[in-house]
Amino acid sequence: MTPFILFNFPILANMNRKNFITTAAAVLASLSFSKVGARSPLSVSQYAPIIPPYLKPGDLIGITSPAGYITREDIIPAATLMQQWGFKIRVGYTIGKRNYTFGGTDAERLQDLQQMLDDPQVKAIMCARGGYGAVRIVDGIDWTQFKSNPKWIIGFSDITVLHSHIQRNLGIATIHSKMCNSFPRVWDDASPLQKETILSIQKALIGEKIQYSAPFNNYNRTGTARGILVGGNLKTLESLAGSVSDINTDGKILFVEDTGEYLYSVDRMFWNLKRSGKLTNLAGLIVGGLKTKQDDPGEYFGYSTYEIIASKVKEYRYPVCFEFPVGHQIDNFALKCGVPYELSVSESGTTLKEI
Amino acid sequence: MGIKTPPYLKPGDTIGIVCPSGYMAFEKAAECIRVLQEEWGYKVKVGSTLGSKSETYFSGTDEERLRDLQQMLDDDEVQAILFGRGGYGMGRIIDKINFKKFKKKPKWVIGFSDITIFHCHLYANYGISSLHAPMAAAFNDGGYTSPYVQSLKEALEGQPAHYTCSSHVLNKKGEAAGPIVGGNLALLVNTIGTPSEIKTKGRILFIEDIGEQKYSIDRMMFQLKRSGKLDKLAGLIIGGFTEVGDTERPFGAEVQQIIYDLIKEYDYPVCFNFPVSHDPENYALKIGVSYTLKVDSQKVVLKE
Repeated sequence: MTPFILFNFPILANMNRKNFITTAAAVLASLSFSKVGARSPLSVSQYAPIIPPYLKPGDLIGITSPAGYITREDIIPAATLMQQWGFKIRVGYTIGKRNYTFGGTDAERLQDLQQMLDDPQVKAIMCARGGYGAVRIVDGIDWTQFKSNPKWIIGFSDITVLHSHIQRNLGIATIHSKMCNSFPRVWDDASPLQKETILSIQKALIGEKIQYSAPFNNYNRTGTARGILVGGNLKTLESLAGSVSDINTDGKILFVEDTGEYLYSVDRMFWNLKRSGKLTNLAGLIVGGLKTKQDDPGEYFGYSTYEIIASKVKEYRYPVCFEFPVGHQIDNFALKCGVPYELSVSESGTTLKEI
Repeated sequence: MGIKTPPYLKPGDTIGIVCPSGYMAFEKAAECIRVLQEEWGYKVKVGSTLGSKSETYFSGTDEERLRDLQQMLDDDEVQAILFGRGGYGMGRIIDKINFKKFKKKPKWVIGFSDITIFHCHLYANYGISSLHAPMAAAFNDGGYTSPYVQSLKEALEGQPAHYTCSSHVLNKKGEAAGPIVGGNLALLVNTIGTPSEIKTKGRILFIEDIGEQKYSIDRMMFQLKRSGKLDKLAGLIIGGFTEVGDTERPFGAEVQQIIYDLIKEYDYPVCFNFPVSHDPENYALKIGVSYTLKVDSQKVVLKE
């Protein structure tokens, strides 16, 4: 069966006009439910988090490329599956667009994302993939409509820019998860773990409370903490330091993950976190996957990622867990950023539970 | 902020050599030691971290590297400290260095790359100048006769710097005056938010880097820009970006263009391919000291 997808291209949009109208009616009916008062960016932390409305059957998910380039073919598996979940899909015009490594020029990527942020029909926006480029457009985004009509923004890696910017300035929850480029081409061929990971996005979108567990790791520090979850890609977080998108970690549960960095670079990034006070007042620390590049020949670094991180936080008391299923790996479960969780690290393992 | 410049060196003064970051075999610094003694007329004191027994990336444990550097900083018989090499590791010990004695009796500290964090820290917290300049390996294979290693000699002797380089098509003409700050781009962004963070307002900023991907350079430049480090500069000096990598899907612009696109909105003078880099072209620059930068259609002049 041909996947039924709404493309943002005029001709395709016309073909599917009937459906657009149905969706619009459903969305309009729910508008009063999603209204949220405007809040000052500076006082976000004083308030309870703002949770965008969870998705209902028939709701529309937009797919866009704020960072790297992706083909239209590459988003079909994600679009098809999300339709099977009962959602409608709108494909942004940056999908299949290419400007070198980017999914279109800065102006095109910004415009596509902006349209989806502003369109009340769109109830969630899935970034098609990461790569690099979100930071080049984040300052151009007009958040006015999004603030009064929040919706779920979904992605990770380079999309950490959006998570961090939104947590810092708007206090609206977002979803840190796999993106279109990680959906299995053939669902039935996917491993149970990959299926579980992908299905965790659906669960997050429809409002199921999140609960994940991880095995015990010798470097863990046991304890229980409650706090709002923030975090994402370590390198991206470091690259936001000093900017208006800089993460505020005080009282929060921080999670980090990364891939393709040298050990020395992980060490240096953790020194930045530590020396800028971002590790001092955490409620808890969650370390996901940290796949590192091999040391260059003759340059044996001598410390593992566990040792690098454990040594940075040994003077603090909060719980710390390693090997949490988040990162550039198959077990990268959807996490709602900006909402409160309970982190429990014990000798029998770790659980992270939305509260 | 006023800048304290350590006393310039006199013949017979002692230069200490330590490796606060990566490991360096003694042989790699042997020519440097010979030149400092025989050609430049200084004594040399070699710290325990040069040619150490370390088998890791580092020249010693954090404690060993800190102790060696601390001894040199505090040693009354040492008038300047030359770092053997950079690599990585200064950031692991910087907060443990005791500057109490050094503050009262500053001496020239010389290096670049990973040493950028030391320069930033010293300038931000103590207003003391240090030398962004070639390190021990640059002396090898006749390198000590190059104008770049010679510029270190002249700087140590107290001769005011006067550097020129050819113009670049993307240069932005103009004249600027102000204290010079900067160093390795990756290290500069790594200091943001920390007690070593550089202030750039009203200053001439210089940057260089090695082995970075184009997108990563773009991201670091965005960080400088978004953290307010680029908008109030007196001038900007782009040094060498060597061994630049690119992703499988090409970035689509050269490094110079990447940087130009981010600073073109500003009015201050900008020059590209200035000889400050991981290549031999690497003039000595005194951090925090005032320079004039003149960029015209023929050439670039940087003068103390």
